Amino acid sequence: MISCPRVRVLLEAYADGDLAADDAARVRAHLSTCADCRRQHDQAISLPFRLRALSSPAPRASLVGDVMRAVGAERARYRRSWTLLVPEAVLAAFILWYLSGFDGLSSIASGVFGDLLSLGSGSLPHLPPVDVVLLVALIALVVVAAFHLSILVRLAAARPAHE
Amino acid sequence: MSELRRRPWAWVVLIGVLAVVGIFLAVVDISMGGKWPTPFAEAMVGPTLVQQDSGKAVTLRFDRSRVGEKIIFAPPFAGFDPISPYQALRAFLTNGAGLILLALAALVAFPTRARSAVERLEARHGVEIALGAGIVMVLLTLAATTLLRFTLLFLGVVPLVLLVALVAALFGVACISLAIGRLLHRRLGLATAHPLVAALAGALVVFDLAVIPYAGVFALAAVAMAGLGLAVVTRFGSSGGWTFVDLNF
Repeated sequence: MISCPRVRVLLEAYADGDLAADDAARVRAHLSTCADCRRQHDQAISLPFRLRALSSPAPRASLVGDVMRAVGAERARYRRSWTLLVPEAVLAAFILWYLSGFDGLSSIASGVFGDLLSLGSGSLPHLPPVDVVLLVALIALVVVAAFHLSILVRLAAARPAHE
Repeated sequence: MSELRRRPWAWVVLIGVLAVVGIFLAVVDISMGGKWPTPFAEAMVGPTLVQQDSGKAVTLRFDRSRVGEKIIFAPPFAGFDPISPYQALRAFLTNGAGLILLALAALVAFPTRARSAVERLEARHGVEIALGAGIVMVLLTLAATTLLRFTLLFLGVVPLVLLVALVAALFGVACISLAIGRLLHRRLGLATAHPLVAALAGALVVFDLAVIPYAGVFALAAVAMAGLGLAVVTRFGSSGGWTFVDLNF
């Protein structure tokens, strides 16, 4: 007959199913007769007890650095999302100046619809001649704005919906 | 506060107050006259008086009663236009109702997308990101449409780009209305109501902002830009968002 102290030692391995068949049979026989050891066994197989018994895995050495880098990158991205407004404002101001302000911009917009209507009457629209400097400024604004937008999209995706 | 929680009619009171505030602000906006930047705001409140060309008959097919010409008062201060409560009510029943109907229609048609967008807006820095994206989108749209103007092949795309931007802004404004309604619900501790009731209150707040004298045009522009930005950063409230995963095969 196996003793109580010996059963307590084997109990964890028994609960995990790691004992050899003959040892497991001896422990099982003891549990059927000993109320104290049975209580210990019931406690050992309960989930909270087993979770508490698990050892916490050691965090990897780079964990703190990785977290700080991730947080720092997001902060930098957030800052960059506002500083990019400066080159955009400069380009927009240059384009507005080049087009003689909002009047020039609105004449372009109104010209579009006039040209589209002329397409309906069968004549080709009149395309205004354009300076390469203006084209470069417009393309630069499109590129900077698209890049800026990609940063904002990533920022929005990185923020949990409910905080 | 707990009193309000128990009373569902608090929503009715709130909506009524917002409507009255809107009409009052529209009255002030109209009497401020056509000084800059109110010419833009006049698009919201409409002309105070019907302009009658001399010698030319004006058909008032849509205003047979002509009550507006009777309900008009002299301005209390010099330099202001007449006070026209009827015109303010008309502005509320046209622009206000239009805004509310479009906002509610967008929420009814795309409830899942609206929820996703509103959740993103309510997240930390959600409003700033939406507004920033809206400003960037306006710049991007202006630059892109100007570029397309100088081409023959893509000229026809310009109205399409502008239409997509308009639809995106409307969807975004609808989501902002719902977010404002939810904010009012939380802050005022109101009883739980149908989400469309909250969205209605939110849309009224947007209308009220739009008819604030002088500042209204800027407030409306900010809301519209934030709406456009919100629709873009959430890809019209898509749960998946922007991704290049499908291209990486």
